[in-house]
Amino acid sequence: MQKTLLELSDLSIKFGGLTAVNKLNTKINVGEAVGLIGPNGAGKTTAFNLIVGVYQPTAGKVVFDGEDITGLPPHVVCRKGIGRTFQVVKPFGKMTVLQNIMVGAFVNTSKNKEARQIATEIMEKMGLQGKRDHLAQNLTIPERKRLEMAKALATQPKLLLLDEVLAGLNQTEIEEAVQLIKTINREGITILMIEHVLQATMAICSRIVVLDYGKKIAEGSPQEVTSNSEVIKAYLGDEYENADS
Amino acid sequence: MTGININKNSVILAVLVVLLLLLPMAVTKPYYLHVIIICLLWAYLASSWNIIGGFAGQLSLGHGIYTAIGAYITVILFNTFGLSPWLGLFVGGGAAILLSLVIGYPTFGLRGAYYALATVAISEGIVVLLNNTGSIGRFTVGGAEGLIVKMVGNSAVAFQFNSKIPYYYIVLIMVFLIIFVAKWLKESKLGYYLVALREDEDAAAAMGINVRRNKLIAGAISAFFTALGGVFYAMLIRYLEPNAIAGAGMSTQMVFLAIVGGSGTVLGPVIGGILLALISEIIRFYLGGQLMGLHLFIYGMIVLLMIIYQPRGIIELFEKIGQRFSRKHNDEGGRSGAEDPSGA
Ligand SMILES: Nc1ncnc2c1ncn2[C@@H]1O[C@H](COP(=O)(O)OP(=O)(O)OP(=O)(O)O)[C@@H](O)[C@H]1O
Ligand SMILES: [Mg+2]
Repeated sequence: MQKTLLELSDLSIKFGGLTAVNKLNTKINVGEAVGLIGPNGAGKTTAFNLIVGVYQPTAGKVVFDGEDITGLPPHVVCRKGIGRTFQVVKPFGKMTVLQNIMVGAFVNTSKNKEARQIATEIMEKMGLQGKRDHLAQNLTIPERKRLEMAKALATQPKLLLLDEVLAGLNQTEIEEAVQLIKTINREGITILMIEHVLQATMAICSRIVVLDYGKKIAEGSPQEVTSNSEVIKAYLGDEYENADS
Repeated sequence: MTGININKNSVILAVLVVLLLLLPMAVTKPYYLHVIIICLLWAYLASSWNIIGGFAGQLSLGHGIYTAIGAYITVILFNTFGLSPWLGLFVGGGAAILLSLVIGYPTFGLRGAYYALATVAISEGIVVLLNNTGSIGRFTVGGAEGLIVKMVGNSAVAFQFNSKIPYYYIVLIMVFLIIFVAKWLKESKLGYYLVALREDEDAAAAMGINVRRNKLIAGAISAFFTALGGVFYAMLIRYLEPNAIAGAGMSTQMVFLAIVGGSGTVLGPVIGGILLALISEIIRFYLGGQLMGLHLFIYGMIVLLMIIYQPRGIIELFEKIGQRFSRKHNDEGGRSGAEDPSGA
């Protein structure tokens, strides 16, 4: 029996006339790695923001770990066990790498020493030990992406939401990051990841949800999704537009 | 290596403490001791402001209301009931905490300059209020003429001393206390949370930080210690004048000293407070009588230049010198000293 960790029902939000997320329904089981893909502006990031309570949905529900968390503020959602990264990374620039990660570790302890210990482990796992005492504002893009993940991991989440953590990385860096995400998943953290790099998404995720104009247009295994005609249209349509301009 | 460093530092610290304790023996002229006391008071006030303004990055431009509320309540309770200022300061400090929550609750939830604007508006309002309130029932507030502390002669209980020396030791203890608080804060969960929310509120919230609640706590701690500074000022000067204790001068001075010294660091505001207060006192001493306001102009220029050329504060200069010094002596390879955001 698979246990559901996250369930979205009819999740919707309108920004003025624009329905950025439109009746999104999906379930994520404990231990799964699920991809969320779709063209630019499809509403992927907005869906994340609805899950973690940055925005209040205009309709629909978010149930996490058997509990209705719809509309709870982000800091509460984090403490329920959902960690998230930001598409535009948000390091605490004037803190060191270790201190950045410690902030997350303080969710589960009030002791500096324990937080330091938890953070050090995660820092090493993410391969950031060489940058331990560097200010986050001085990191390169790939390092920032890894720090972004480390910060979310430090809160010891059950579900990790990754928003384009592979964007801006080169091929080798992507391969490294893919291995890292797979390891995190294997160690028991459920993953929902937004990604444009399809190859990588397929390597990590057993299931993919496709959004277009706020609506779910397909869901299934990577093979099913990539051969789905609506998905091809959504993506190719995009390319025709690009070719025109 | 670290062992030696700790020893060296604690020796320096011990020598410094002994020198500070013996200082009144060397400085026998009351005027000079008074100047030193004022410098230490500014160091204390800038450090108190630094908790909300520096660590948490919430620009309060109205901290004069906390010095005022601490001072007025303590003095009024003393003048009316003879309540010892040592007890009155807790009432004044408590009132400052309440006031900080009243201001912070509606404004800390908002983004941008709302908090700063609210602090300016409320402090201006309170200056006007104080200037126009002669008395409330049986409590004499003094209005624009100010409020004089009832004199009882030399009395420790009444916080009144004929000599400047006790004031010196009291303010010295206050400075040590606030350094200790800042040092604790820097290492604590609260301190990490404050710096995190200062750097990015969304990222902080995503990491489980209740942004508004932590700002309120920082604001309350800051207000309490600022109020104690106000009480000390009242007992030292023995006269409260609304514009001096609550006005824009008081409020902005705290901000300048902390920023120039290095806001968000433990020792920056202390160094900034002492150095700048000293400079402004010297300028006033030599120029004050000749050209009215010239000392303020020169003082303002110094602050301006500091902010342009040394935006991370004097403390950073000190750190650089310290690093060069220790590198020369140890010739230690690699990176010297973590770029610790919260400084010394
Ligand atoms: N706060 C907001 N107010 C108004 N419109 C918004 C807001 N946030 C997002 N939108 C709009 O909602 C739509 C979905 O945006 P979203 O950022 O979720 O897309 P996305 O799928 O993450 O795209 P990308 O791949 O480019 O990151 C876009 O049209 C965007 O302009
Ligand atoms: Mg996005």
